[in-house]
Order: sequence, then C-alpha cells, then structure tokens
Amino acid sequence: MAFWHRLMKLPKIKSLKDSNYAFLFTPTVPGDYVCFDCESTGLNPRTDRIITLSALRIREGEILSSQALELWLAQPQRIAPESIKVHQIRNQDLQLQEGPLLSEQEAMSQFLHFIQGATLVGYYVTFDIALVERIVQPWLGVRLPNPRLDVSELYYRHKAKHWRHGIYQSSVDLRFSAILADLQLPNLGQHQAFNDALMTALIFCKLQRLGDERC
Amino acid sequence: MGMEQQAFLLENIAPFDRLPLTQRRKIAANFDVLYLTPAERFVPKAPALFLVVKGLIQESQNAEVVARYSEGSYFNEASLLKNTARLAGHYSVVEESILYRIDAAVFQQTLEAFPQFHAYFYASVVQKLEALYLSRQQLAAAEIMMEPVYSTPLLGLVTVEAEASVAKAAQQMVAHKTDACLVVLPLEHPARPQNSHAILTSTDILRFTAQRQSTPVSADTTPALTLANWPLYTVSDEEYLFNALLKMTRYQIDRLVVRSSQPSRSGDYLGFLHLKDLMAVFAHQSTLVWLNIEQAHSVDELVERSAQLDKLVATLHAKGIKVHYIAKLVSELHQKLLRRLVGLLLPEDLQNHVALLLLGSEGRAEQLLRTDQDNALIYADGLNAQQQQALIEFSDAFSQAMLRLGFPTCPGGVMLNQSQWRQSHQAWYRQLRVWLEQPTEAGFLHLAIFADAQVLFGDADLLQSLQSLIWQRLEENPLFLRHFAKGAMQFTTPVGFFGGLVTRASAKGAVIDLKKGAIFPIVHGVRVLALEHQIPHTNTHRRIKALMDIGIFSEEQGVELGESLNYLHALRLDAQLRGATQAEPLGESDLAVADLTHLQQDILKQALEVVKQFKQWLQLHFKLRDLL
Repeated sequence: MAFWHRLMKLPKIKSLKDSNYAFLFTPTVPGDYVCFDCESTGLNPRTDRIITLSALRIREGEILSSQALELWLAQPQRIAPESIKVHQIRNQDLQLQEGPLLSEQEAMSQFLHFIQGATLVGYYVTFDIALVERIVQPWLGVRLPNPRLDVSELYYRHKAKHWRHGIYQSSVDLRFSAILADLQLPNLGQHQAFNDALMTALIFCKLQRLGDERC
Repeated sequence: MGMEQQAFLLENIAPFDRLPLTQRRKIAANFDVLYLTPAERFVPKAPALFLVVKGLIQESQNAEVVARYSEGSYFNEASLLKNTARLAGHYSVVEESILYRIDAAVFQQTLEAFPQFHAYFYASVVQKLEALYLSRQQLAAAEIMMEPVYSTPLLGLVTVEAEASVAKAAQQMVAHKTDACLVVLPLEHPARPQNSHAILTSTDILRFTAQRQSTPVSADTTPALTLANWPLYTVSDEEYLFNALLKMTRYQIDRLVVRSSQPSRSGDYLGFLHLKDLMAVFAHQSTLVWLNIEQAHSVDELVERSAQLDKLVATLHAKGIKVHYIAKLVSELHQKLLRRLVGLLLPEDLQNHVALLLLGSEGRAEQLLRTDQDNALIYADGLNAQQQQALIEFSDAFSQAMLRLGFPTCPGGVMLNQSQWRQSHQAWYRQLRVWLEQPTEAGFLHLAIFADAQVLFGDADLLQSLQSLIWQRLEENPLFLRHFAKGAMQFTTPVGFFGGLVTRASAKGAVIDLKKGAIFPIVHGVRVLALEHQIPHTNTHRRIKALMDIGIFSEEQGVELGESLNYLHALRLDAQLRGATQAEPLGESDLAVADLTHLQQDILKQALEVVKQFKQWLQLHFKLRDLL
C-alpha cells in the first residue's frame, strides 16, 4: 500500500514548468548524497520561511565540506523571538553576512543546481524538504523527485537490529544530541545550519559503515 | 563560512597557532571531512594534509611503525613539503577516526605567505625545542619563576670605605632603607685580590650589639670591616629568579649582590636581592615549605616535608621550566633533606670521619622523582670496633628513614647498609683496584655507579683520593675505558633508518624505552668521556659543558646533546607523572607513543637521531669497531 501511495504522489517530469530544471529528473547516481539543513522562522512548513540553508555533498564516503553551499535568505518580516531562541540568528545577524541575502527563488535555484539528482540526507529531512517545496512547487509545478534518507530513521533501524533476538524496547532516544553521543561523534555546536548539516553527514557516514559491516 | 569552530581548533595546534585568525578561517573553510573505520588502509586520493579531529592513525614504513597520530595532530606533511608522493607513508586506521583534509594548494599558499609557518617545517631540533619551551612558558606567562632578577625590587646599594665604623655603616644602611652594605677591602687585605668587597649585614650588626654586653666596645670606633664577611655571592641581573633562589639555598644565605650584565657596566654592583623579597614573589609556591627543612628536629618532621616534593616537581614541570633546572632544585632540596637526616641520625663524634656518598642519578643531580636509594659510605681508616658498630646502626637507621621519606630500597643493593657499599677508605681502595684491574660485567656496572659519586655529608677528601686513583689507573690502562665505553652501545636506539620511531608492542600499545635506548647512551657516553678527561663534575650537563670547554665536543654538538637530554628527561618525567596518576603505570621507562602529540613525536625523532649520531661519534672516538 505504501508503495502505491508513494507512486501516486511521485512528481512527474511532465508537470515541470521550466525545462531548465529537467536535470532534477536524471537517474540518481549511486553513492552521491547531499546532506542539508535549514534554520527557519518556525516549525510550520506551510507558513514558515527558510532563514539559512546549508548543504554538503558526500561522495565516496568523503564529506566535501570545502565545497559546501551556504545560503542566507532575505526576510520580509522580522524573525520571531521564539525561533531566535532556537537558532540564535538575530535579525541583525542577517545583515552581517558576507554574501548577498537572496530571494527565495534565487536561493532555491542555487540549491537545485547544487543537489542535481543526488539522494537527499537530513535529520527529520521531511521537514526541511517541505520548507523547500513550499517555494519550489508553486514555481516549478513539481515537488522534489530526489530520493531521501532520514538519519533519525536510519538510526532507529540500526538500533532495532539489536532487538530481533532480544527484548523489544519501545523507545529510542532520537534527539540529535543523543544520537551523536550514542555514536560517539563530536558535537561541533548545534543549531547552526552548517554544523548541523556537517554532523548529520557524519552520522550518516557512520551509520552507513555500521550497516556495511553487518552485511 | 560555517567553519568557525574548526578555525578555533587550529588555534591550539602548532604551527597553525602562529597564523592570523583570517588565515586560520581560510584554511578551515577549505576543510573536507573524512570518516574512517578501523583496520582500513587509508590512501590519500590527492596530496593533502590531514588533521585528526578524533581517533588514531598509524603510519608505517617498511612494516615498521614510524608514528601515531591522535587528536590534534596532523600528518602527510612530508609528501607535501618535498612535493613527492613517494614520501607518503602507509597509513592505517587504528581507531575509528574523523579527519579534516586540507587541500595541498591551500597548504602551499599558507607556506608561501607566512614565513613563520614556513620556518616551522624547516627548523632544526634546537629551534623547535626553544619554540616548545616558549609555548609552555607562555602558558605560564604570569609565573614569576622564570622572570629575570631585574624584574624584582632590589635593595639599594650602599658601599662604605674600609675605615668606616660600624655606626657609620649602620647609618648609611638606614638612610638607604637597606639592611646590608658593601665594605671596600683595603689593597693590603689578605682576601685581595680575589675579593674587592666584603658584605656587612644587619644580622652581623645585631650579633655585634648582643655581644657588646660582655666586652664593651663602641660602634663608633669598631671598623665595619671587622664584622664583614666575604666572599660575596653575586648573581647577574639577567639570571632567572629561579636560579637566584637556588644559589641562596645552596649557600644558605639571605642576600645576593646583583651585578650588571650590560657590557658597558659589566661587573658593576646594582644592589641586593633579599630572600624575603624573592619569597614574596614565590609566595604561592610550595617551595617555601622546603626552605625550612633545616628546622626539622625529627625524622617525622622531615617525612612531612618530603611529602610535598613530587607535587612541586609536577607544578614546575607543567609551567614549562626546563627539566635541567627542576632537577637542580630537586637535587638541592633532596640533599638538604638528607643532610639534615644524617645530622639527626649520625653520632656527632663520627661526623668528621665519614663521607656519605650519593650515587647514580642522585649523584649526578639528575633525579626528578624519588627513585631507588643509591648511596655508599666511606669511613676513615682506624675506627675502633665500637665506632664501626655505631656506623652499622646508623646505616640501617638511615636506610629505614629514607624508605619513610619515599626512596624505595635499591633492588641491586647499592646502599650503605650493605657491607660492600660501606667500607673503610683502605677497603674501598682495594675494592676499586679489583673493579679496575679485573674487569667484569658487575665491575663495570659498579664502577659506573661509583663514577657518579657526590659527597652528601662529611669529609670530601675521602672521596677525592679514591677518584684520583680511578683517574690514574685509567690513564695507565686506556683499553679499560674503551671497553667501558662499549656499554653505551649495548641497547639499540629506537629510531629507524628512515628516521621513524621503532616501537615495541605492549598492553598499552606501541611503546619505546627511553631510558635504555636514549638517556643511558648519553649519560654513559658522557661519563666515560669525563673519566677519560678527568673531569670532576658528576652532572651530565656540567660534564658536557666541561667537555665543550676543553674542545672535545664542538659547541654545536654539546648544545644539541644537552638539549636532547633535557627533552628526553622531560618526556620521561611526563610519562612518570602520568603513570603516577593512573591505576596501571607503564614499565618504569616505557613511553607510549600514542600519548605524544605530533610535535613531541617530531622532536623525539630528532633527539633520537642526535643520540644515534653521538653513539657513532663514540664508536670512532674509542675505536670501538676494533673491539667488537
């Protein structure tokens, strides 16, 4: 059922409004991943906006952070105090960015060119993709066709493997810091899109290796 | 860019720490991140420098482990500097690792743009060592220990003529708010010409005043010179305060006359440095407790005071003070402690008839932490049976007390409570002739121990005549020294043909034995040379200095040897201090390579290279190839 459900909802290249973006529908290159993270004005993907987006390519197990994409978006409204508490990006910090603040469409254009047909990786990546699609769908007429992997899900499955032959444990701590700690990865400081993306990429690499070993 | 934290990481890694923040940021912005799992062979895809964020990477050449890189160290620079991939080692992942990769182009650009950064990779071992000490010292920048004498307030200089009365001298002292003055020695004075001045202190005047009760004399008529003392103990105004303290401790005095080090005023006296001012500067140091060893009236009190010694060593070491200086201070304090102990235990009527010797590292004043007791006793010929019995009792009590002070008994039995190491002068004479004339392994060992003897207490002449015997016999029989020198070759120095470390596997991972492979060859080689050239010093650094003075060592060779020895001792002390805090200490002289930072490994390799060269030099000097 889930498969058919998914298939029905799959984006179709014929709905694409701008043929310049046909590259999104090229077959996915195995082993080509883009890990990304957004900081947003809030937690509702229908109404909240992206403030900053960081994306890193992972190729053959190497995190190419030197060619990372970092985007800062212009905000039509002031950022709400509640969200500033989470990501600590103040309104004035936006002005301090070196590069120009981009319009939503410019930012997404850069992002789409960056990801090409890569598999998208993130922590609760559905939320970040929804933020992106809020902009992309009205503009290009399609949702993102890229395959996606959520590290929280990968991590849950990794933990679940231990239970097959043991007592079922109902809860796994899926908080970002808990996953880092459990996998013994260094916490480089959270809630900064770039660091979040980098650490997510590390979690992803490690989970992949752990998966390999079991095969 | 988002690599802020990463740029901060570089701040703590030499030589990146000498780059400006903007350049560190630039480098960090070019990091790629690699995640590696154990047992994997790691082959860099393109020339790059790798920085270990977490984990452990091992480099090997020809199946020989040459280095290990842990958190905060970097590797693969050799292939970048020489610009040839052939030099790249074989890397394997020992522990799961996260690396940052710095692109070769960025590294090259940094090398070209920043001369200091460039210099680091092309510096000699002495330069690197200086930089290391400097960085440690910078950590303790607030620490006064290593400040020069001129940084403390001096008491004003007052000089009076030879004819001046005590009263006049006292008035001058009060007027200049000082408590000592110099008295010019008249030309015909017997202490001339070695001494130009004598010193008169408030203590002298106090004593004089107290004495006046019985023999009334007037301060107005008594010449100051009659109360004054000489020689003067002086210190250069550029000397470390630390060494000034050493000098005061050594001569048991409260004041040093400070002399100028400026060429134009060379030798001019500037003022007095008073112990109490120095102490105020050292106020937070545990050194204070140590200076009143003299006031201890029982073994218990001495035990109490000795307990703080190891802590003192750890503190000084952490502050980056050269191990050579720490060893000097510690030896000084040990000797004070032991001298007081002898004073407490040895019956007074015997005190002038014995010489108590410190041997081994304690005799060389190179002991840092308390190790085995190595000591011996020479007593004058012709002591009666009762006196000899008293000496036996003293020896047992002394060894017991030393045990309580934290000096373990010597497993080889080199202690004065063993009859072989407690003999009359005559018996020692015969003993030495046996060692010198019938060479055996044990004899070599014993002679090596005895050659480092230093008189702790008693009659120094007793030792001196024995020392002359050794020198004389060695002169007559040069072949003995050549065989003796062979000892320096008996352990291989753990450095490979390509300059890598040769490690031995142990439960703690790869380790090397610093004592056998590196420290011993230097100490023994220098000892044999000192015997050959009849140098009376026992301290290896002083022996090296003396050998430089007579031209046996070139300036460069001597400095390099001394600095390398210092560094090896420092590493060993590091390992010992670490061992003392861990539940499972390493073998006494084993050093775990993984505990060393990249810079430390780098310098260690060069220091070992110095040892290797010294061994080759010894081989030539003593023509050892013909013997082997």
